[in-house]
Amino acid sequence: MHISEGVLSGPVLATGAVFAFAGTGMGLKKIDYDRIVHVAILASAFFVASLIHINIGPASVHLILNGIVGLLLGFAAIPAILTALILQAVFFQYGGLTTLGVNVVVMAVPAVLAHYLFLPMLGKSPTLTFIAGFLAGLFSILFSSILLGLALWFTNQNFFETSLAIITAYIPVMIIEGIVTGFCVTFLLKVYPEIIPKKK
Amino acid sequence: MVEENFAYGRSFIHKLDPKIRIIASIVLSFATALCDNLYLAMIYSFISIFLILMAGLNTIDVVKRLKPLFWFLLMIWIILPLTFEGDILYRFYGFKITGQGVVLCIKITIKSISILFLFTALIATMTVASLGNGLHRIHVPDKMVFLVLMTYRYISVIEQEYKRLLRAAKFRGFNPGTNLHSYKTFAYLAGMLFVRASLRAQRVHQAMLCRGFNQKFHTLDDYPPNRLNSIFLMGICGASASLVILEMIWVEI
Amino acid sequence: MIDNDSVIKLEDISFSYTGSDIQVLDHLNLEINKKDRIGLIAPNGSGKTTLLHTIMGLCKPDSGTIKVFGKILNNEKDFLQVRSKVGLLFQDSDDQLFCPTVLEDVAFGPLNLGFSRTEAIDIAEKTLKRLGIQLFEHSVTHKLSGGQKRLVALASVLAMEPEVLLLDEPTAGLDNKVKKKLIHILNSLDISYFVISHEFDFANAVTDKIYSMENGRILRDDEIHIHHHEHVHQHGKHPHIHK
Ligand SMILES: Nc1ncnc2c1ncn2[C@@H]1O[C@H](COP(=O)(O)OP(=O)(O)O)[C@@H](O)[C@H]1O
Ligand SMILES: [Mg+2]
Repeated sequence: MHISEGVLSGPVLATGAVFAFAGTGMGLKKIDYDRIVHVAILASAFFVASLIHINIGPASVHLILNGIVGLLLGFAAIPAILTALILQAVFFQYGGLTTLGVNVVVMAVPAVLAHYLFLPMLGKSPTLTFIAGFLAGLFSILFSSILLGLALWFTNQNFFETSLAIITAYIPVMIIEGIVTGFCVTFLLKVYPEIIPKKK
Repeated sequence: MVEENFAYGRSFIHKLDPKIRIIASIVLSFATALCDNLYLAMIYSFISIFLILMAGLNTIDVVKRLKPLFWFLLMIWIILPLTFEGDILYRFYGFKITGQGVVLCIKITIKSISILFLFTALIATMTVASLGNGLHRIHVPDKMVFLVLMTYRYISVIEQEYKRLLRAAKFRGFNPGTNLHSYKTFAYLAGMLFVRASLRAQRVHQAMLCRGFNQKFHTLDDYPPNRLNSIFLMGICGASASLVILEMIWVEI
Repeated sequence: MIDNDSVIKLEDISFSYTGSDIQVLDHLNLEINKKDRIGLIAPNGSGKTTLLHTIMGLCKPDSGTIKVFGKILNNEKDFLQVRSKVGLLFQDSDDQLFCPTVLEDVAFGPLNLGFSRTEAIDIAEKTLKRLGIQLFEHSVTHKLSGGQKRLVALASVLAMEPEVLLLDEPTAGLDNKVKKKLIHILNSLDISYFVISHEFDFANAVTDKIYSMENGRILRDDEIHIHHHEHVHQHGKHPHIHK
């Protein structure tokens, strides 16, 4: 989920950059040298998984999966998402330099929140695990699209309809991400529970 | 998939120090993004096209990179002229197209394409290894640089794993469609990628320990000082500054 | 056996992975001496990789002692000191090569050992040349072929000038040309090594004795002819080998 270049106003870009900078700093601080390889290679998996295309009727959408990344990495998801966005810009031109900050906020803030909201629910029971995963996936995309809409709206209130259109367009994605994230955490908890961070 | 197609040219831009290119693209991108004047935006777009030409890139490949942007632009061209408040330019069947909406669309189109062009010309023309080196030398924290390099390194490895998994699923009759079974299968594939990634991270970490990793990262690339670097950087900064000042005066008038 | 000839000595090592009750290593004994060139042929899952990781201190044994150069290794600090002396070539080269370019990868070890940049680059270049792959110096690591990756990984281990080399299935997935090259390189080394392989021909070409592994223990030459016999019959084509 990316906001394009050349749209947002200076104050919005600056706010995004400041929050992304602070968040990345906090995330990096939480990654010690024994874990950095783990974060990096999970970011590679995130990059690859987000290229998976899923059909909805005749159309297809690609997965975003920031919810899963948030669940698995917590605050470390911020630098991991920044890394993936930089590489996506280099290879696919999903964005450029000026929106990097806003895009990190749009993708990573919901991811980190999903970690703290839904991780405690995982593993209680299979149904609850699926529901927690579903909500984490759905919530992340919903919140991301709202943040994206807000970035536009703060730029110019005339963007209101555009923002609404974007959020509406993401509704099917929310549902798919919810389903996929639900199944994905169920799978992870079954085959490799070590990957899910321990609750503190 | 993650081919560094543009990185191996021999142009003037390819010879510039990555650090200089990163700083120049930051300055110029922000100047472009903050510009709110149609004529000045056009000047920025000339600069970015000039940089693309200087980098000697294949035009078709460069334009192909605009595909993700294209969908966004299509959307705003449909929505903005109809919803933006302003002087009515044209009216039909109860719809109103406003002048301000159209002008904003033109501005956004020009600015976004310019910013992406100059990103392509200055950043996509270096290898990720050089990008890491440049980031290191503009004092991006070591851990962040390491994340970028390491993530890039393992993308192709994990992509291969994904292709193998998907092929195996297809050999067993998996036919993706719009149904719960397909979504579940993709969820398991994605889950498997995360599992493999985590196991691989353990082995890579072990391999690093075996080679005496002591929590310090080293870079080897050396870029000898070159007058072209400073001239280029001064040129870009000078141009950006004068355009920004020009816009400020323009508004005054 | 004179003790100062001993390079690596494992005594009574037992190991099982946490959360599993299979004894992967069960009171295992192994000794590698100076100039030893030992091969290890055993089926998948018999614990060969685990054995090498235990020697490197990557798996902590539940009981037993590990001696390297006569010194008992107990904690991470002890292992840190010997890791530069014992080189481990990983089963999957992608695990081992994590730097952006070949030269950086090969220089990574020497830099960690405290060599200066110029010295490290010099060592790396010399090692690449020694293995005949100096042309790849500036290549991007992940774009190399499987065989090239294996040779670069070997270079990255040799650049640390280890006194003993542990190789985990170095020929897996390689074509005959690279295999021949590897045989040539190993035979020209003057350090001791311990090589895991699935290929009897390869192991035979680069080692002086061949061990096997069963139920978490090492079987020496004299104990394993039965295994070879079965092995050969299974694969039909080869002539019988009776020791
Ligand atoms: N990280 C691990 N956690 C749990 N069990 C493991 C792990 N790695 C290996 N094993 C198990 O230990 C046994 C020996 O594995 P390994 O040493 O890799 O064998 P080999 O290298 O001979 O094929 C196998 O049964 C394998 O399933
Ligand atoms: Mg093995």
